[in-house]
Amino acid sequence: MSLIKTLYEKDLYPEIEDSAESDFARDCIQIASERLAKGEIDRRTFMKAIAFLGAAPAVMTLGGKTAQAAEEVVVVNWGGPAVEAYTQAFGVPFEKATGVKVVIDGTGPLGSKIKAMVDANAVTWDVCDTGTGTTLVLEKQGVLQKIDYGIVDKSKMQEKFAYEYGCANYMFSFILAYNKTKVPSAPTGWADFWDLEKFPGYRTLRKQPNGMLEACMMAAGKDKDSIYPIDLDLAIGKLKEIKDYVIAWGSGSQSQELFRTGEVIMGDIWHTRANLLNQETNGDVTWTWEQGIVTAGMWNVPNNNPAGTKTAMEFIASAQDPEQQLVLFNAMGNGPANPAAAAQVPDDKKYIDPGQPENLAKQVLQNGPWYQEDSGVRNLTNDELSREMWLDALSS
Amino acid sequence: MKKDPRVVFGRCMMLGLAWTVLAFLVVPMAIVVPVSFTDQYFLSLPKEGLSLQHYAAFFEKDIWISATLDSLIVAIASTICALFLGTLCAIGCWRLASNRAEMVRTFMLTPIIVPTIVQALAMYRFWIDLGIMDTYFGLILAHTLIAVPYVVVTVSSSLANFDVRLEQASRNLGGSTSQTIRWVIVPSIMPGILSGALFAFTISFDEIVVALFITSRNVYTLPKRIWDGIQDHLDPTIASIATMLIAITLALLLTELWARQRQRAKRTARIDIGGE
Amino acid sequence: MHASLSRVYWLLIAPAVLLMLVFYIYPLVQVLWISVTDPVPGFGNYMELIDRPLIHRIWITTLRICVITTSITVIAGYAVAYAMAQVGERQRTWMMFCLLLTFWLSVLIRAFAWVMLLRTQGIVNTGLQEMGLIDEPLRLVRNEFGVIVGMVHFMLPLAVLPIYSNMTGIEARLVSAARGLGASPFEAFFNIYLPLSKPGIIAATILVFVFSLGFFITPALLGGGKVVMISEYIQVSFEETLRWGQATMLASTLLFSVLLSLALVARFVDLKKVFGAR
Repeated sequence: MSLIKTLYEKDLYPEIEDSAESDFARDCIQIASERLAKGEIDRRTFMKAIAFLGAAPAVMTLGGKTAQAAEEVVVVNWGGPAVEAYTQAFGVPFEKATGVKVVIDGTGPLGSKIKAMVDANAVTWDVCDTGTGTTLVLEKQGVLQKIDYGIVDKSKMQEKFAYEYGCANYMFSFILAYNKTKVPSAPTGWADFWDLEKFPGYRTLRKQPNGMLEACMMAAGKDKDSIYPIDLDLAIGKLKEIKDYVIAWGSGSQSQELFRTGEVIMGDIWHTRANLLNQETNGDVTWTWEQGIVTAGMWNVPNNNPAGTKTAMEFIASAQDPEQQLVLFNAMGNGPANPAAAAQVPDDKKYIDPGQPENLAKQVLQNGPWYQEDSGVRNLTNDELSREMWLDALSS
Repeated sequence: MKKDPRVVFGRCMMLGLAWTVLAFLVVPMAIVVPVSFTDQYFLSLPKEGLSLQHYAAFFEKDIWISATLDSLIVAIASTICALFLGTLCAIGCWRLASNRAEMVRTFMLTPIIVPTIVQALAMYRFWIDLGIMDTYFGLILAHTLIAVPYVVVTVSSSLANFDVRLEQASRNLGGSTSQTIRWVIVPSIMPGILSGALFAFTISFDEIVVALFITSRNVYTLPKRIWDGIQDHLDPTIASIATMLIAITLALLLTELWARQRQRAKRTARIDIGGE
Repeated sequence: MHASLSRVYWLLIAPAVLLMLVFYIYPLVQVLWISVTDPVPGFGNYMELIDRPLIHRIWITTLRICVITTSITVIAGYAVAYAMAQVGERQRTWMMFCLLLTFWLSVLIRAFAWVMLLRTQGIVNTGLQEMGLIDEPLRLVRNEFGVIVGMVHFMLPLAVLPIYSNMTGIEARLVSAARGLGASPFEAFFNIYLPLSKPGIIAATILVFVFSLGFFITPALLGGGKVVMISEYIQVSFEETLRWGQATMLASTLLFSVLLSLALVARFVDLKKVFGAR
């Protein structure tokens, strides 16, 4: 239950839904601010770490000078420490290579705001850091430019996350986390999560169905390749089986709190939060990548962006550089989207990278477009219908 | 006379029950205080030692200070507006004392009965049209509307004990309406106005639902910050703020108690003197 | 009174009334209006009240929680008010003190404190386990029980005050007289005192019930996502699924049910007394 801060902007464009996955970006920022605040990483170390990594020679794949000779490119993300992290990770290298200044704007690229700008013909943003859901909704509204895969390299991301109007910026996962002092043996997948006899105790699932329905499907015995299209009745039926032992989490910190206080023994939560718990509990809380659900943060370019299409695409291409993605990974925990970055992740951090080949092999890539398809019921999309059914089942 | 054992038993039961209920009321406060001294970085009881870091955090971090300032600005402004409007309205209704005036007074109570989520939704919609979303003016207006009924109620009940003849006397001596209100009525209904002010202030200072709907980034009140603090990372600063608020409330209540006792002592003294 | 003087007093009233009409009543009417015009004109949104089992259940949950909360609050509140009316000045002051202190504590913070107390490894469960009273921790929060505890806690002062103020008007001699005529203390209480304190009870019941119907924050924080009351669902349908038609329909229904319950009670008591405007 997070009342979105700029509710009223959404209202101007009610058809734009800010899908819940932008919550992840915000949650990462929350984590980083928290770590800064409690002195786990002090500000100087944080800056030094990202500055050091960011200053490493970036391998540029850009073709010479930019045609429009834009002076700056404005990149919008969710603010807080992410402004510094993005500046160091993506801004500095791009500036060095092209001379184009990069401005990181932390206002928060709400879908409704992007739509408002485009409609008013007053676009001030060049590149936006959104999610799969927002990308697809904005695509329907005709607000975005196609990603120019002549400039952006499709092979530098999971093909499934190379949408026509958006492409992967980083990756994150919903995984099965568990407290190993409270389970008889390590659960190995969602079937175990649903096994109340073998693993008695409370579990936590998210208040919204995104990332949970996939787990339900796998618990129902579907293998990783046959999850989509999700059979909502089947998935919700699975939720009902265990709902008496489910506590729902709303924000990332809530999911963490439920483990911390021992209220739950298992949960379907974000890998970044699982990692924090792992550190905090000296390894008592851990997770399996098995049957995790990977999804991606997305780059979007709105129509008529001030710096021009080419510069924006070039920025995105530049940000595909593995070194740069590693900087972001180190600072914020967002998994690199470029498979080539996987090899460069230090060995002691491989276990927290959803994109490592051995981790990726165990997981499912989320099919974002399915959520925006028509459900066939009361003109609702699958996303809308599943939210309703999920809430219904949880509260029944 | 020996007391009926049944009476004694009943009395003990009654007192036991009442104090149990009151203990239930006070328990959450008892827990907030130790939590505020936690040495952890999330809301929890202290583990290894006590720490004042979360009090320091409140005074050091801009977000908390600015939220407190925002809350104070909004609460003070809406209290003043509500007091002004509510007092005048109550005086008008009281003096007219007609059926229609009675209806007006009842009508003014609407915001008390309308569920908060409904009024939040309604204001949200209208505030967009007015273009006062996320402005101090917008929130002050909203809080004024919510607080006015409480002022009307407290001032009206004060007026009920006010002698109309005083007002008439003032008029007979040539006082204008504004003079009469300013110099005769207002001073004698001061207790009602003050308790109305207290109500209005606390309602605004504590209000969260409407604030969540009609403000976003420009106006960020303390309850909104606390809400974020609970939602986002269970920041123990929340507990330290709560403890400070409890302390302030306690201080106010004790002062009020003390003032009342002193007044009573004075009055008794006066009566004693008069009796001699 | 002179007509001119009367006009002056109406002028005093006017600003508040106008403000209320324009900025409060009009937006409410707008909500009603949207509920019958969005997305298409007609009562389509209201059909959902009949068609959708989810909405039925949410309403039933809401009403059930409200009834339980109200009953507990009024009974507990009565006990406190009765004690306050009977004890000496000093003890009464302390009782009032406890009541008022909670009155001013932020609802958010209270909800959080209850989570700390009631969760599986919270203070209450740990305490009971250490005393050997229970083996397994009890589920005290993130369910309906937790929501009710939080709501009762919030509503108690609201219930005590009207009951108490009514009791201060009851002649103690009436009870003594009954006792003198041979009634047992319990008979005297049930036959004389209780009926006399009925207006206070009714006032408290309405206040608590009406406030409970629209409760928002406490269920959201203590319900663990599983106790969805009507207010929270209004927020969800408005914020997450952006369906104004549905949100305003539910809001209007909520408003009507409050008005309806008030209208029902108005036949028995003077509502103006309940809400303090004599």
